[in-house]
Amino acid sequence: MICIIALAVFSILAVFSASYRPLAAEAFDCVFRKATFRKCRTNLDQRLKSQITGKLLTKSPGLARFVYKRFEILSWIFVILFIASLAYTVYGGYNYALYGNCYGPEDNGGFCIYNALEGEQFSKIHAELEGETVLPTADDDPAMGPDDAKVEMIEFGCYMCPFSREAQEVVKQVLEKYGDRIKFVYRDFPIEQSGHSDLHMASNCANEQGKFWEIHDLLFTEQEVCAQTTGEEREKQVQDIAEQAGLDMAEFNACMKSEKYEDEIDKDFQDGLKAGVYGTPTFFINGRTIIGPKPLRAFEKIIDEELEKAENGS
Amino acid sequence: MGLNVEGIRKDFPILQRKLAGKPVVYFDNACQSLRPVQVIEKINEYYKDFPACGERSMHKLGKKVDEGVDKARKSLQAFFNAKRTEEIIFTKNATEAINIVAHALDLSKGDVVLTTDKEHNSNLIPWQLLKEKGVKHEVVEFNNLDALNDKLTKNVKIVSMVHTSNMDGTSIDAKEMIKAVHDNGSLFMLDACQSAPHKTVDVRKLDVDFMACSGHKMLGPSGIGLLYGKQDALSKLKPFVVGGSTVSESTYSSCDLEKPPHLFEAGLQNYAGIMGFGAAADYLKKTGLDNVSAHELRLNRKITDAVGDSVELLGPKNPELRGSIFSFNVPGLETHNVAVMLDEAANVMVRSGAHCCHSWFNAHKMLGSVRASLYLYNTEEECDVFIKELQKIVKLLS
Ligand SMILES: Cc1ncc(COP(=O)(O)O)c(C=O)c1O
Repeated sequence: MICIIALAVFSILAVFSASYRPLAAEAFDCVFRKATFRKCRTNLDQRLKSQITGKLLTKSPGLARFVYKRFEILSWIFVILFIASLAYTVYGGYNYALYGNCYGPEDNGGFCIYNALEGEQFSKIHAELEGETVLPTADDDPAMGPDDAKVEMIEFGCYMCPFSREAQEVVKQVLEKYGDRIKFVYRDFPIEQSGHSDLHMASNCANEQGKFWEIHDLLFTEQEVCAQTTGEEREKQVQDIAEQAGLDMAEFNACMKSEKYEDEIDKDFQDGLKAGVYGTPTFFINGRTIIGPKPLRAFEKIIDEELEKAENGS
Repeated sequence: MGLNVEGIRKDFPILQRKLAGKPVVYFDNACQSLRPVQVIEKINEYYKDFPACGERSMHKLGKKVDEGVDKARKSLQAFFNAKRTEEIIFTKNATEAINIVAHALDLSKGDVVLTTDKEHNSNLIPWQLLKEKGVKHEVVEFNNLDALNDKLTKNVKIVSMVHTSNMDGTSIDAKEMIKAVHDNGSLFMLDACQSAPHKTVDVRKLDVDFMACSGHKMLGPSGIGLLYGKQDALSKLKPFVVGGSTVSESTYSSCDLEKPPHLFEAGLQNYAGIMGFGAAADYLKKTGLDNVSAHELRLNRKITDAVGDSVELLGPKNPELRGSIFSFNVPGLETHNVAVMLDEAANVMVRSGAHCCHSWFNAHKMLGSVRASLYLYNTEEECDVFIKELQKIVKLLS
């Protein structure tokens, strides 16, 4: 029954290379004939069996013998494994579409290759975590929502990261939905490559004037404009944004000039690294991570679970 | 004088190569042989230096072609010891040569054709299908003079026999058979595909009327073969593939037919193939066919001694009676599986299946055999590889 696998494998290869097409056709013919209880006309199964055995003959005669004698059983095992893995792939795909990760609703943070990636939907830094992971705290960073909320969601974001911007939409939906039941904290994680800590500096200066969230939103909406400017032009751009956010410009300019929030930003960054953050945006929801701009349902799943946990616990 | 196998091997480019990291052990020579550079260069020479028409063009290139073809025809005349160059007709292969005779001999209802029971399809089907004309085809046991004599009647117009069987390597006593056939007043055609590459086939000594062989089994290019016809035997043939080159003159209603060989070489020819074939014959002649067959026998003996008893051998045990062929079955294994395994394990290339002799295998209720066929460039070391892998297969899998 090796023909079934051969059919699948050769069919896929045939898409990319014409030289596999006759083999795929042969495998199809073979499967078709076997399905109708006839002998495979081209003896593809026999040929594959002999090829595998022949290859093994030089390397491990014992194994060659084993494979040759039990080829039919072995190919059945492979067919079953193949179909099972195919089924799992489909199931994973279904889960991914529904829950944003391939484990489905039961996801408990296990390794899932499709979890973080849809392509690589986060801006990566090349950091490797040394030592133990330390979960981040809210620290003294800008926060929204009550301090005693049952769920605390900390985002490590970067104003120059398009994925952080994309996630911004979902964050809004999350906050709208959960309102007082969630505390949201934003921490600075200016990714190395962009080196745009001026934007983070600006947001900290705005925080002084109690206008953090205003500038926060503006920085994301104006991301592309910022990305296109440098030097003085860029400075001007940041000032425009600050003005739009309704800041006292004299105070803001003084703050920017003093660079006094550099340490604060660096602390956020270091805390992020300690927590194992390797890209933005990374969310910690009561310590559980979401990386990249995941759909709302991915957030809902974790938040609902955490809320339920808290309710049951209290 | 023995063969300088090492020197010979240097002439064959494919033997200098490795496939999948291993050298090629080519034991499928009964199907097609490998080709030496001398032949390859001859082919290239035509395409590079004078790629033009033969027989009709008066220019310098055309003359070169004619010279090349004439030279090749002379080489083959000498190789087979034909009396005249005109008796050598180039065909695309042996199958075509046999078909020419089968169809041009103008057999009619009531005529009988005899072949042996070990014929290649190419020397069976052309005769078999003559039944549509009312010609009867009968089979006599291979190399059995009495059986032949029993069948030789007045109605037998031609007896066509394989000289050496491509299935098991056994040969007929051609001279004896031919004499009996001639005594009966019938014509004799020899299928020398498997004999000409390995031993001297002297058409005059044997006194054959027709002889077919293929170039690609004797170091020549693919797509070239030969029909030898004794002059008066050729005169009995009525050509049926005619056109360019087969006439010297024509009007709208008549033509003057050419003489052999051109009468049977219609249209422009495979000039490169013909010249390559000539070069192959020269190469073999220079090497000496006696040396070739002695070398093959030595190798076949080595293989037979090592594994002859652990497989089901086709044909007699004595390798002298099988020449260059070691044809066998591994009990319990399909022939193609054995061939694929040998190929995968050590690049040992053998043929498997019915070798176009379905009729014999069907009559013997067998599916086929695995056939190792040797040639001048094969070595004892290659035989060792084959023996080792075959022993493994027999020991582990059968
Ligand atoms: C005995 C014999 N006769 C005839 C043929 C056919 O030769 P060709 O391929 O040149 O037509 C073969 C080829 O395998 C052969 O072995």
